[in-house]
Amino acid sequence: MRFVLLLLLTIVVALATGFGLSYYALTDGRAVGAAEISPWVSWPDLGSSAPNPYSRGHLTREAALQLGRSEGLQFTATTDSAGEPLDLACAYLLEGHVPVSTFWTLVAVNGAGVNLAAPGTDLALRSSEVVRANSGAMVLHVGKALQPGNWLELAGEGTFALKLTLYDTTAFSGFGSDNDTMPSITRGDCA
Amino acid sequence: MTRILLWLIGGVLLGGIIHIVVILALPLLAEETTWSRIEAIAANTAMVVLPAVEPGAPNPLHLDPELVYGLCQVDLAEGPVYLSGTLPDAFWSLAVFNEAGTVTYSTTNRDGIGQTVDLGIFNAAQTRLLAQQQLDIAEGLLVVESDTDRLAILVRLAPPHETMRPRFAERLAAIRCGPRG
Repeated sequence: MRFVLLLLLTIVVALATGFGLSYYALTDGRAVGAAEISPWVSWPDLGSSAPNPYSRGHLTREAALQLGRSEGLQFTATTDSAGEPLDLACAYLLEGHVPVSTFWTLVAVNGAGVNLAAPGTDLALRSSEVVRANSGAMVLHVGKALQPGNWLELAGEGTFALKLTLYDTTAFSGFGSDNDTMPSITRGDCA
Repeated sequence: MTRILLWLIGGVLLGGIIHIVVILALPLLAEETTWSRIEAIAANTAMVVLPAVEPGAPNPLHLDPELVYGLCQVDLAEGPVYLSGTLPDAFWSLAVFNEAGTVTYSTTNRDGIGQTVDLGIFNAAQTRLLAQQQLDIAEGLLVVESDTDRLAILVRLAPPHETMRPRFAERLAAIRCGPRG
């Protein structure tokens, strides 16, 4: 009896660690294949010709047309800088710099990958459309509530993710220690 | 107590093996892959401009709404593939996907290529013929070597403004893609 119980316990532990670890590695993956510039996460190995097994698994799950290594890098944020999930009920403020790149685009998508831009507005915010401060830093507003300056207007409800795609970038290429910086995401008023 | 601990360690070790098997087997077991989605577009030896991202519609290929995408599927078994044409004066980049869905080669127009697309893709045997000068190619052709025969070429073109999109898509569709002749 004791033996059977122990055997069952072992099998449960094995299944939980095996599939739990796999699920974690392919969704979050910060400990294995993904790089993090908090709260932004990127998989720098996705565009290489021989991605590591974790990146390959991630690629398989996405089944998308990813960027090649020399084309650019995509960063995704699902939380703000304080670690709270991004919610369409709230207004967010993105402040700071991005790594050197030819240009970048910012889109908001939901869990199914559907673009959340408000009807009749641009689907993405692009670096060439952004007004900057004298220091070169940018201030971007994201959310449903009317905002001044650079505003990515959204519609809908629930949680969402921000995707910032850098084209032709030097991120993670050892260009300089202050190059690998991403804007902070601060939550403002919530409806 | 020690025995229970040993059983638990055994469970964790077994879990590690399951984890490794899952990660390695996943790409082999997937039914809907990048390649099956590319094949569904049916862009055989022709540059097909992908439909623009619609608001509220699913975007399975994770396309960037700001860009125009051109896709061309080729098979090197029919001969070396050439990509030629001119693109508007804006950022563009090019990626070569293999059947596994990985990018085997990518470049951007800032690598000194400018507006002219002039690229030849060769498999190992064709590269050998090239080295023996038994294949005639034009001077200045960008030579790309590929390990596998079945490939898809994706060109990303970034129109500076939304109103330029139709014209840019037209120019992209005019890129020649396929074996010579």
